[in-house]
Amino acid sequence: MKFVPERLEVAAGDRITWTNRDIVPHSVTATAAGMESGELAQGKRWTYVARRKGEIPYLCRFHPVMHGTLIVK
Amino acid sequence: MNWKHALTMVLVAPALALAQGKPTDPQIAHIVVTANQIDIDAGKLAKSRTKNKEVQAFAQQMITDHSAVNQQAGALAKKLGVKPEDNATSKSLKEGAAENTAKLNKLKDSQFDKAYVDHEVVYHEQVLGAIDKVLIPGAQNAELKGLIEKVRPAIQAHLDHAKHVQADLGKKK
Repeated sequence: MKFVPERLEVAAGDRITWTNRDIVPHSVTATAAGMESGELAQGKRWTYVARRKGEIPYLCRFHPVMHGTLIVK
Repeated sequence: MNWKHALTMVLVAPALALAQGKPTDPQIAHIVVTANQIDIDAGKLAKSRTKNKEVQAFAQQMITDHSAVNQQAGALAKKLGVKPEDNATSKSLKEGAAENTAKLNKLKDSQFDKAYVDHEVVYHEQVLGAIDKVLIPGAQNAELKGLIEKVRPAIQAHLDHAKHVQADLGKKK
């Protein structure tokens, strides 16, 4: 189980869409950055607009072993 | 400039298969549903009994994930017109689950937590073994086989998570 890619560089203002291609529900969660997709069932998508520059580490609320980092430049 | 980025959450499935006895597809469907239901029930028991937050979170994950798998398995069986058929493997899984529940019911607090998590480690190891040796090699229908292949990494992640919780419980004394 993982985010693919685990690290992604984007520019401020970019739209980033996560799609859950797994069979079990996942989330995209970065509490400090105020990023929370809520529960994403299989096939569901969630889009986030990265406005502030910096590094945002995030995880799946249900599977804390899943980590990702969004780098907003 | 606005770019659209697409990220995916995928499963990486390293599968090695050793053929043993080959159950039929209706039997495989029954084993999948039974194995999931057992872990949902164990999770519900643990959630209601444990006071440990880590164990509680693990139990909730088991309930959520195995329910999602069973929903998919049920939908696929319906679509394929496969009627799950009881068999020796399902029966032995159920017997093991009944023994585990009886054992857990006699324990409480940290003893309960330890017994639940220890069993989750063993159980997920057993299920992985069954997936690799019996279910994947045995499934005739491609969609059924695909479903099991897709489930495997979740079971592996559960095993890793259970081992992590097991190690944490071992540190607390």
